[in-house]
Amino acid sequence: MNLQKIMIQTWAFVIKNWIITKRNVFSLFEILFWPVVGFFSVGLLTNFLDLNADMAGFILIGVISMSVIQVCQIDVAYVLLYDLWSKSLKHTFIAPVHPFQFISGSWLIGVIRSFIVFLLLSFLSILTFGFDFLKPGLVPLTLFLFGLFLISGLIGMSVCILVLIFGYKAEVAAWSITSLMALVCGIYYPISILPSPFHEMAKGIPLTYFLEYFRSFYGFEGGKNLLGWGFGQIVVYLVIEAMLFKIVLRRARKTGVLIKLSE
Amino acid sequence: MGIAVRAEGIYKTFRSGWWGRKQKEVLKGIDLQIEEGEVFGILGPNGVGKTTLLSILSTLLFPDQGKIQILGMDSLRDGHRVREKVNISSGNANFLWSLTAKENLHFYGMLYGLNGNHRAKKINDLIKLFSLEEHQDIPFDRLSTGMKQRLSLAKSLLNDPSVLFLDEPTVGLDPSVSITIREQIQVIQKERGMTVLLTTHNMKEAEYLCHRIAFLKGGEILTTGTAESLKRMIRVGDVVKIEFKGTILEDELIRADGVINYGISGNLCEIIVDDGERRLGNLIALLSQGDLQIKKVTLGQTDLEEVFIEFAKNNDSDMGLCD
Repeated sequence: MNLQKIMIQTWAFVIKNWIITKRNVFSLFEILFWPVVGFFSVGLLTNFLDLNADMAGFILIGVISMSVIQVCQIDVAYVLLYDLWSKSLKHTFIAPVHPFQFISGSWLIGVIRSFIVFLLLSFLSILTFGFDFLKPGLVPLTLFLFGLFLISGLIGMSVCILVLIFGYKAEVAAWSITSLMALVCGIYYPISILPSPFHEMAKGIPLTYFLEYFRSFYGFEGGKNLLGWGFGQIVVYLVIEAMLFKIVLRRARKTGVLIKLSE
Repeated sequence: MGIAVRAEGIYKTFRSGWWGRKQKEVLKGIDLQIEEGEVFGILGPNGVGKTTLLSILSTLLFPDQGKIQILGMDSLRDGHRVREKVNISSGNANFLWSLTAKENLHFYGMLYGLNGNHRAKKINDLIKLFSLEEHQDIPFDRLSTGMKQRLSLAKSLLNDPSVLFLDEPTVGLDPSVSITIREQIQVIQKERGMTVLLTTHNMKEAEYLCHRIAFLKGGEILTTGTAESLKRMIRVGDVVKIEFKGTILEDELIRADGVINYGISGNLCEIIVDDGERRLGNLIALLSQGDLQIKKVTLGQTDLEEVFIEFAKNNDSDMGLCD
């Protein structure tokens, strides 16, 4: 294996997403408008409800995490969506690139974009609501963010898998999976309030553990070994999705999806 | 010369609807052998499976059955290695809309692992080769169809492929652009000596570019051969029309080399020969031997279109393989 070649091939997807992002005015909305609007809507609601600082912090952690994941995962999903919309899918798949290269390349640009979102929102949270995201310290914050980025990669991969199965019909997944996860993982509330099947479901999603871990630094109850569960689940899902991706790509080459989506 | 593409018993059926109940059998046992450096054409009307076959050979699609070897590599097991050595250009080209022509070339160049300086030089050369200089900074969706097609060809040469797949490379282009593209394909193929597998429904294009041609119909290859041999095989010869005064020696005419048939009507004789250009001199010499005066000679050559129509008509007849 030629490492330089692998790096160049992976970097191609960073460059592609970056060029399309900088040319597209809507990507500015994705980074600035929606996250900021969402942040202020929820933040001001906490003021109106006169929540104490801890409770407001609980919700702000949720809303910022949600924005970070949404921005990062959409970049991973875009790697195939841009090709789908341009009908150029076959040119990507006739090139000698591995799926891990286009996933990791697009994930990288997603990490950069969502980190910018995180910096912006955490700065605004100190400025407007007096909530300090750095309170837990740099290491816990880094681990928390790394977890969020990996979860975003998993969601983006899921969208790519769905695109290879359902084509255009799967576009909607790019915007809806994160919202569904927010419902189950306790973005705005503890999962203990969820009815039984959803409560169990939440335990099978790594985001639940990362939110509990980070909130534990603000006085909320956290379980034991939350990071272990979070990262452990991520590894398991990564392996499953990698295998699924391979199967689905093989299926796409068998059913002719790659050709149909390029016409 | 080695074999660049070898396909044996390729079958493909597409399934759709609930539980794949609707089935469409597109390829029914295709065998193909293409030598290195050969330009091979797959000719056939729309919807007969040309693109499906090309997609299978280029690793984009798996067949239901069959074996494929590209440059000696098993393309079903070793697709990744095969993809290093092949590339594709399709008619109605589509690339990333918001990237400029040059950016698209850089992106695909990177997918083939070309590094900075090497990639920049190669892309500049290709831009020059396909006269894309003035359009290199224009986003793909604002390029004309002809420019998109040139870009597609430029992209297909980024990795210096040993086997190039061209899927209807001039479809939808106006005639003058089509001619330019064909000339460019021919020049590039000669310079680089690569194997080209081309699908088209344009007979002139196939005749102009291809060393050998296969007729595809109903998912089967009806026959394979050079344009000339195909014309000979179905005995749709060239027509020599001679206006004359005097008497034609009919016994000698029918025995002459290359004469397939003839007909005389008044002072016009129509002779069907296998190869008009080759036989014309002898024919005139033969007919001039008696008291015959030749007033006018016209040669009408058969084009591949007529051959294809004949093949399509005689689908069930016994047509062997011809080299």
